[in-house]
Amino acid sequence: MSKYQYNQEAVENLRLSDTSILDRLVDFESAREAHLKKEHAKKDKRMTIGEAVATYVQDGDILTDGGFSYVRTPHQAFFEVIRQGKKNLQMIGAPNTNQSFFIVYGCVDYSHNSYTGAEMRGIDKSYDRMLKAKRVKILSEWSHGGIAQGFKAAQLGTPGVFSKQMIGSDIVRYNPYLKVMQHPLKNDPDPVVFVPALYPDVAFIHCHAADKYGNAYIYGPAVNDLAVAAATRKLIITAEEIVPENDIRYNKQGQIIPFFYADAVVEMPFGAVPGNMPGYYYWSRQWWEKVMRFGGASDENMKAFLDEWIMGTKDQFEFVDKLGGAKWIAEARRQTKAAEGDNEDIDFSYEEYTLKHDSGLYY
Amino acid sequence: MQDLNVPANPLETLAYIIAQQINDHSIVYIGTGIPMVGGILAKKTHAPNITIVYESGGQDPIQGDMPWSVACPFTWRKSPTIMEMSYSFAQCYNGYVDMGFLGFAQVDMYGNVNTHLIGKDFHKPKVRLTGSGGNNDLSSLTENMILVGLQTPDKFPEKVDFITSVGHLTGGNSRREAGLIGNGPSAVISPWGVYDFHPVSKRMRVKSLTPGVTFEIAQSLTGFELLRPESEIPDTKLITPEALKIIRTDVDPHGVFTTMPTA
Repeated sequence: MSKYQYNQEAVENLRLSDTSILDRLVDFESAREAHLKKEHAKKDKRMTIGEAVATYVQDGDILTDGGFSYVRTPHQAFFEVIRQGKKNLQMIGAPNTNQSFFIVYGCVDYSHNSYTGAEMRGIDKSYDRMLKAKRVKILSEWSHGGIAQGFKAAQLGTPGVFSKQMIGSDIVRYNPYLKVMQHPLKNDPDPVVFVPALYPDVAFIHCHAADKYGNAYIYGPAVNDLAVAAATRKLIITAEEIVPENDIRYNKQGQIIPFFYADAVVEMPFGAVPGNMPGYYYWSRQWWEKVMRFGGASDENMKAFLDEWIMGTKDQFEFVDKLGGAKWIAEARRQTKAAEGDNEDIDFSYEEYTLKHDSGLYY
Repeated sequence: MQDLNVPANPLETLAYIIAQQINDHSIVYIGTGIPMVGGILAKKTHAPNITIVYESGGQDPIQGDMPWSVACPFTWRKSPTIMEMSYSFAQCYNGYVDMGFLGFAQVDMYGNVNTHLIGKDFHKPKVRLTGSGGNNDLSSLTENMILVGLQTPDKFPEKVDFITSVGHLTGGNSRREAGLIGNGPSAVISPWGVYDFHPVSKRMRVKSLTPGVTFEIAQSLTGFELLRPESEIPDTKLITPEALKIIRTDVDPHGVFTTMPTA
């Protein structure tokens, strides 16, 4: 007998024969237990990304991340998860493009879905093919705002929130976690949807700076990260730099993830490459064009492309070397500063990657 | 730099029509793509005092290049504040957004939007598309939604293959009865016409058509029966050379969103 009464229509529409696979995402009791048991003392939690992934990512975990789309996404930590060959993961991603890479290597089998694609770089044809080939199964459909409310509910310390989002749409018919009900205080009919608090198993959040205890500073959009940090059972902070605690105390006013959420702290400069790290480096437009256009064209292309970039590099430094090394770093820094108005305006024109034209440049 | 002598393409026309819908001094919520061009064009022309807000939580950025993601630096360039994502949608719920713009893969006769999949089988679609992103959230909550996209009978079917975002659901009062906030879509804009919804039945109706497009042509590009307005159908105001110049030199100089896709 399951602990939960899921939205039965969605369970049927999604053809889920065993709903126990859904439980852990909403299992507050086990999440609270995990939070109680983790190290509460202010201790040095620094380790390498290899150690953090080996220690804190278990096969079958529900994995998620911070950032948005290809902005401050922990791509390099994700690549390490792929290199270590973790299996049977469930994944929540704002843009599921980041899930595609995992699915190619058989790491992620289940998807909690709110967006698949690379915005103006187009739909994710690789995900489309793998979904139809049943290499990945969707466990729940969401809107960005709906899943944000699920994380926020966890951070608020509530069993869930009532929402007006997703209501009336087919998303509710393909999400076992959502239940439409009458507003409990209204006389007139007023449907609302109950969004349960969501508790991932493990989250990677890439930050600008962290101290060795895990106090972590984010500049730019925080997106869902403060909520995800509070919700997740295990949190791995990767940071562009490790700074003294007093630097956080005195200088880093703004969005701070408190140390006690963190299980591991990894110094990881260029951890968001090939995406954008606000203030530090611009995204590699040609890399994303290549993965969407060349990789998107066939499974073989995608595998070859990712073999080269993920399996063919051992860490982010080799990855940056492939992008163009110091020249790439200088250009990427200039571009992101200009984009933020912190540098003289520059001309953002560049040689776009197309199937007919590959300049070999990544900036 | 783009050639200023080439006539406006359908996407530039769309951007102009979008801009025309925006009143000065309003708060406008913008999704990715062509709505960004329309919003910034409005700010550069007749509506300099609008506040543009984005799903990343970026509030009122100063203009830079075209954003390539709703979280990219151009959506929060020197923003006084950046909201967390859940709060950025709450702006719409709480009544601080006057108007929102969204794209679609399909829109039906009641303004329901699909960005999930093409095909009847969820498990084996013809094409899996992006899913909701913030599309559903804006449609569910925003006072005045304007939908923007290209028009073919496949893109304007009688029923969408998947309701990502509720428009007027099954017409009449059904949107309100289902529990949604706001008025639902007030207009659908395509390069060939501007459509609104009949006040009672909530069925899609022609509001104005691009010069040269007759009702019959618009109907042939639509997969359901379009309603006619009671009076004569006016022409949609064509893009002015000044506006086209501003798009090509200032708003989208690299043609990021205003270059027609090649097959």
